[in-house]
Amino acid sequence: MAEVEETLRRIQSQKGVQGIVIVNSEGIPIKTTLDNSSTVQYAGLIHQLVMKARSTVRDIDPQNDLTFLRIRSKKNEIMIAPDKDYFLIVIQNPSD
Amino acid sequence: VFPARPSWSSAVSIRSPDVYPRNQRLHRNYIISVFDEEDNDVTPQPLYQADPGSVQAKASRFFLDEISGGSTSDQTITSASFSMPFSRSVLGSSRFSSQSTIESINEEMEDTFPKRDILFMSCCFPSDVQGKRVAVKEQVTENMLNAVIDIYLSETDCISLLDIPSTSVSVEADNADTITERNKQYAEICKNMVGNEKYVDRSIQTLNDALKHKQVQSDSIVMVDAGTFVSTWEMYDTVSGPEPDESVSDSETKKADIPEAAVDSSRAAEKSVSMGSTTSTGSVTSSMKDVEAFGNSLNAEADLQLIMLSERFQQNLLATERSIVGNVFQPKLAAYRQLLVLDNPDRSLNSEAVEQKTEGSENSPALEYLWTFSCELSRGRSVSSMTWNKKNPDLLAVGYGDSESSDQKPGLVCCWSLKNPTWPERFFHCDSAVTTLDFSTNNPSHLAVGMHNGTIAIYNVQSQNNQTDVINSSECPNKHMDPVWQLKWTLEELSLTGEDKVESLYSVAADGRVSKWFCACLPVDVMKLKRIHDEKKTESVVSALTPGLCFDFHPTDSNIYLVGTWEGLIHKCSCSNSQQFMETYKKHFCPVSCIAWCPLSPSLFLSCSSDWTIQLWKQDQFAPVLGFTSTQKAVCDIKWSPKWATVFGVVNVGQLEIWDLKSSIMDPLIVESAVPPVNMKCLLFASHTDCLVVGDSVGQVTVYLLKNMRIGKGSQVKDKYTLETVIQSFTSVIT
Repeated sequence: MAEVEETLRRIQSQKGVQGIVIVNSEGIPIKTTLDNSSTVQYAGLIHQLVMKARSTVRDIDPQNDLTFLRIRSKKNEIMIAPDKDYFLIVIQNPSD
Repeated sequence: VFPARPSWSSAVSIRSPDVYPRNQRLHRNYIISVFDEEDNDVTPQPLYQADPGSVQAKASRFFLDEISGGSTSDQTITSASFSMPFSRSVLGSSRFSSQSTIESINEEMEDTFPKRDILFMSCCFPSDVQGKRVAVKEQVTENMLNAVIDIYLSETDCISLLDIPSTSVSVEADNADTITERNKQYAEICKNMVGNEKYVDRSIQTLNDALKHKQVQSDSIVMVDAGTFVSTWEMYDTVSGPEPDESVSDSETKKADIPEAAVDSSRAAEKSVSMGSTTSTGSVTSSMKDVEAFGNSLNAEADLQLIMLSERFQQNLLATERSIVGNVFQPKLAAYRQLLVLDNPDRSLNSEAVEQKTEGSENSPALEYLWTFSCELSRGRSVSSMTWNKKNPDLLAVGYGDSESSDQKPGLVCCWSLKNPTWPERFFHCDSAVTTLDFSTNNPSHLAVGMHNGTIAIYNVQSQNNQTDVINSSECPNKHMDPVWQLKWTLEELSLTGEDKVESLYSVAADGRVSKWFCACLPVDVMKLKRIHDEKKTESVVSALTPGLCFDFHPTDSNIYLVGTWEGLIHKCSCSNSQQFMETYKKHFCPVSCIAWCPLSPSLFLSCSSDWTIQLWKQDQFAPVLGFTSTQKAVCDIKWSPKWATVFGVVNVGQLEIWDLKSSIMDPLIVESAVPPVNMKCLLFASHTDCLVVGDSVGQVTVYLLKNMRIGKGSQVKDKYTLETVIQSFTSVIT
């Protein structure tokens, strides 16, 4: 448990990391380092996107599954690690 | 009157018009045809078309043909349909009507048509009733047509098919009286018969029960609308049951029910709990859908705990961390891999400065700083040794430990991966300062660590949680008492088979012993190989052994190795001879800190020592071929470059030097100074790239890239000869 906390802390202190959000399977954020409104926004929007992405991957091959999703945009990069029970979302701006 | 001929065809044969007048008095066969005022043939066609498969169809068609054919004649000709050989019984009734129609046919053509239709029907039906008849067609010849045929019509007997006489008689009938009389007589007989009590006439009436209304009420059936979105993978999931990662075999079987927790796994408890939590929270979802607040409900907190403890989460964290770090270090890692370094498109501002910098140093060989492996664990500790993993060349094991200082901090071993320069993948805390490390070749996850207190421990770096060593030599009777200065795994070829390479661990320690450790997953059977004798006679009997500081095995012949001692002597020894040295090379007068065989030219080796010099030796010469000096500092480490035969790297206390024998033997090619008070401690070349790593005294391991070394264009073999020729050229100059 402590190692997990330690790892989260290390991730948070990496260069350019803007925030970490952990969302549970219902779409409710359970841990976050961003402010409330952004958190809720990210949680809701990314939930839908991950569902769609996972559906896409599995429609092509039902034995396949989504393991990691990265969205690179102009201003930052959103990294999503989806799982059955949760999503782990990290937003980073690597050019900071 | 005699019956018509049974032959079908003969009956069908037509009587041509010119034949007709001759037989007119006998027969009245004519065809009915209807003409209107303009002499158009408007003969109505039969409404009923018989089954085309049956014979009758032909007959009727034939009949029709006759009708149409007869239009040319003045007189109508009845076809032989009337005389068709249908069953006589049926024809009988039809005959009657036909005979009547024949007479009146000419006068009232219109009236006969309905009858005619009936005729058609009657003609048609019998053939169907009879079933199919195979028409045996005789060829209708002219003679046959001209022949006179007699056709006779006669009445058949009346055949009753069904006769049910009625049981009631009208009162007004003629025999009503007699019948009544007879009935009465019968009733009398019945009454007077013996045993008539058995039979009684009786009437009865059904009683209708009274009706009663009854009402029943039931619960209304609750209807629920259910819908689902079906996709390929949902169907697959349903068919294959639980998720494949929980139990692989379940994906094969077609179970629709979700099993209980997987067995026999330490993760099973977490997984089952997490599954249970999802089912419980699933029901919660249905009740609260649009919850905006977070962290309020108890469920969320429980979720968080469970999630964070699950292994999947930790793996995801690892992957995420690596991705983030990869983003941060991407240009450096690309340079390491010798990929084209892409300019960050968001960094348009700094690009000019970067370009200018690179333009200047384009042509000359240089070291480019890439990154540093360092973390808070390692901060402040001095790096003592480094080694690459034999199987995964991206994995670097670094041993931290300060052997020279008086206070002995516990040592640390960190395994760094290129994927994350900010945090080691594994780290092991050791009892005492780590002095040397080596990865095994046969078991790539075994890392042998030699420590300042003489202990040798082997760690298994594969398992994540195992922080303790697999094997520890501290209980061994024959273990080293003094710091182990170098460890090496070597592959020995068995003389018998030559295929199986047994790996053994060799160590050289300050107690003057070079030991071989047999490692077959059990500690150790130490076999003392060598006693390093003091060459000079000394009066002190305290120890006849001098500390060995370094050794190196011959690259091709694993039987031979070189040992450097505290006295500055280098001994060439053989594994098979534990009593005597094969050779002794004497030049240094201070402790030899490192020896390195040249990987490309097996007869050359380099040695460096604290006497500020580096010597290049040839195996069969007792005096060094070349010597190098650059600074007046003790040389700590020396390594050959694996890629270029004439290049080697040197670390002395204050700086890192890259020497290239082809360009100069007097001065190093590249010099990279350390920022004081940081001292550089050790050096390692990377095998697959042009990079090298340098460890220093504050716990940092720095990665440098060698750039613009133009000499690396040729093949290794060519380089080897280059080295030898270079050396020969120099030696010839000197001698």
